[in-house]
Amino acid sequence: MAPEKIDQNRDHGPDSPEDSTTTDKFVFPKWVNLLREGTAVAAIGGLVYVVVLITGVFSPEMSAMGYAPVQPVPYSHALHAGDLGIDCRYCHTAVETTAKATLPPTATCMNCHATIKTESEKLAVVRESAETGRPIPWVRIHDLPDFVYFNHAGHIQSGVGCVSCHGQINRMTVVEQAKPLTMGWCLDCHRDPDPNLRPMDLVTDMTWTPDGDPAVLGAQLRAEHNINPSTDCTTCHR
Amino acid sequence: MPRPILYVLLVVVAASLVPMGLVYKARHSRKTHPRIQVVYDMDNQYKSKTQTENAFFADGMAMRHSPDGTVAQGQLEADDALYRGQVAGDTLFVETFPVEVTSEMMYRGQERFNIYCAPCHGASGDGNGLVNVRAAALAEGTWTPPTDLRGQTVIDRPVGHIYNTIKNGIRNMPAYGPQIPVSDRWAIVAYVRALQLSRNASIEDVPAEVRASLQK
Ligand code: HEC
Ligand code: HEC
Ligand code: HEC
Ligand code: HEC
Ligand code: HEC
Ligand code: HEC
Repeated sequence: MAPEKIDQNRDHGPDSPEDSTTTDKFVFPKWVNLLREGTAVAAIGGLVYVVVLITGVFSPEMSAMGYAPVQPVPYSHALHAGDLGIDCRYCHTAVETTAKATLPPTATCMNCHATIKTESEKLAVVRESAETGRPIPWVRIHDLPDFVYFNHAGHIQSGVGCVSCHGQINRMTVVEQAKPLTMGWCLDCHRDPDPNLRPMDLVTDMTWTPDGDPAVLGAQLRAEHNINPSTDCTTCHR
Repeated sequence: MPRPILYVLLVVVAASLVPMGLVYKARHSRKTHPRIQVVYDMDNQYKSKTQTENAFFADGMAMRHSPDGTVAQGQLEADDALYRGQVAGDTLFVETFPVEVTSEMMYRGQERFNIYCAPCHGASGDGNGLVNVRAAALAEGTWTPPTDLRGQTVIDRPVGHIYNTIKNGIRNMPAYGPQIPVSDRWAIVAYVRALQLSRNASIEDVPAEVRASLQK
């Protein structure tokens, strides 16, 4: 702040030579004018910055999508479901008939691994589990909040493919969450399921694409099978 | 503008890019740690769900088996022919299907065969599925090649025997009973019979209407 009264007779020190030669009044340097614009820019910029940062941090892409925990066994879908062409339902047996897809019991792995790669270090946990009867402690990846009701059978029997909700599992060496699994995401499809519908015998086909517009085929299938996903709160919160 | 102020401003702007960069990186990479939840709401409730852990039980599993020696309603499975593929009160295998064979059942059998059997036996039943190809290439010495399902051995087997093979396995083939329910097992048996027929069929077996399209 500029001093109001200036003592004319004051002896100025050698450290302020310009002041003594020009004027004794304190004058703001010219660049201070920038402060006004500067503050406005900083305020708007800061607000945008904070909004972008918060949406960035709290959006599902930040922490839910791409979640791929380290599993106790280096099991690869790219090998088994991709290269070896094993159908999803070979292991996830309950997916067509119940709410849960269920993970396979160790016995399912031993169908083959009792005679294939019997010495493999990577399968030590599987063999131990088969001997003791204690399940392999797989780490859960897709996990809706407990207050949401979800049902696989309802979707599979309406012709929604695994790939619509889980991505290209057949190419993943480690399974990762590919979709946000937020309420908005569920509703997007429930409002307009047509592009995601396919003939029911192709639900586990990870590479199938329709000839022509998927929405046209979808609309046809939808009319044929009377598929009308509900957006009532009680469908998913009960 | 005095230099120090300029520098401070530049440092502040540069520093503000760091969190942005971190967020960008996190959004475009794999994460091994679970989602950060600021407010838990009722996301994880104190209840046991399918295939979860529960320390209360000695085996650590939340899902319980029915106690030994008990039978749930409707699960007595008294019908030997249907559930075991055997002649009632005997160890002989049934020669005829205990269920009605329909074309719908055939299609079901085809689908189930391709899911559960084709990895080893191949889609045509020739015993050379992709798993066999891979296992043969590994040449570990522990693998037995799957039987050709269209060969004379399996043609001669009664349907009840094939059913039993699916349910309980045979020699080096694992049991598929736990993965495949009863009606689907019979559907697969029917489809195996169809594969055998198609392998040994002549043009006379093809319906007259479609015969021309094959002979072209
Ligand atoms: C040979 C058995 C096998 C086959 C075939 C198989 N899976 Fe899996 N799947 C597993 C096992 C074991 C896990 C648990 C370990 C893991 O997450 O990698 C799993 C995990 C998953 C998960 C993640 C579950 C979670 O915790 O959220 C999804 C999704 C999945 N599988 C989908 C598929 C789809 C789609 C296919 C067909 C293309 C398929 N699986 C085929 C055995 C199999
Ligand atoms: C239908 C047969 C089949 C089933 C069922 C199966 N696998 Fe495999 N798996 C294979 C074959 C074949 C290979 C060998 C591929 C190669 O390396 O050439 C293999 C390889 C592996 C490997 C790599 C081993 C190594 O040393 O390279 C792991 C780990 C594995 N499987 C885990 C599992 C688990 C866990 C399950 C149960 C969820 C399972 N597999 C079920 C056929 C199967
Ligand atoms: C409409 C979307 C959708 C489709 C289609 C779908 N899933 Fe899922 N899947 C989910 C959701 C959501 C979860 C998480 C469920 C939860 O947390 O309760 C899940 C969980 C899973 C799990 C983990 C275990 C479980 O049951 O919770 C597996 C395995 C799985 N899905 C496999 C499959 C396979 C295989 C298919 C195709 C045959 C499939 N899913 C089709 C949405 C879908
Ligand atoms: C890709 C499309 C798609 C997505 C994504 C999707 N749904 Fe659905 N949903 C459907 C279709 C199609 C139906 C079947 C409607 C019918 O049968 O008329 C359905 C039906 C349902 C039903 C009724 C099932 C029954 O058994 O009655 C529930 C509950 C449901 N969805 C919950 C969810 C939840 C929760 C999510 C998000 C995690 C979700 N859905 C995501 C397409 C989808
Ligand atoms: C298609 C299924 C579906 C329908 C229909 C649906 N929800 Fe949801 N809802 C969800 C899912 C999935 C979540 C969990 C989202 C997450 O974890 O980010 C959720 C979460 C919520 C939450 C908790 C949000 C939070 O931050 O924890 C509220 C509140 C809610 N829903 C209210 C409603 C209301 C009100 C309606 C009816 C207008 C409705 N929902 C209809 C699937 C649905
Ligand atoms: C893991 C690989 C594998 C799968 C999957 C498999 N099999 Fe086999 N199967 C074998 C092997 C190996 C043999 C030969 C066993 C031997 O000679 O020791 C065999 C033999 C057979 C035989 C001949 C048994 C006899 O009478 O001598 C029949 C029939 C058969 N399988 C049917 C099936 C059917 C039906 C399925 C589907 C539900 C199936 N298999 C799935 C590996 C498999």
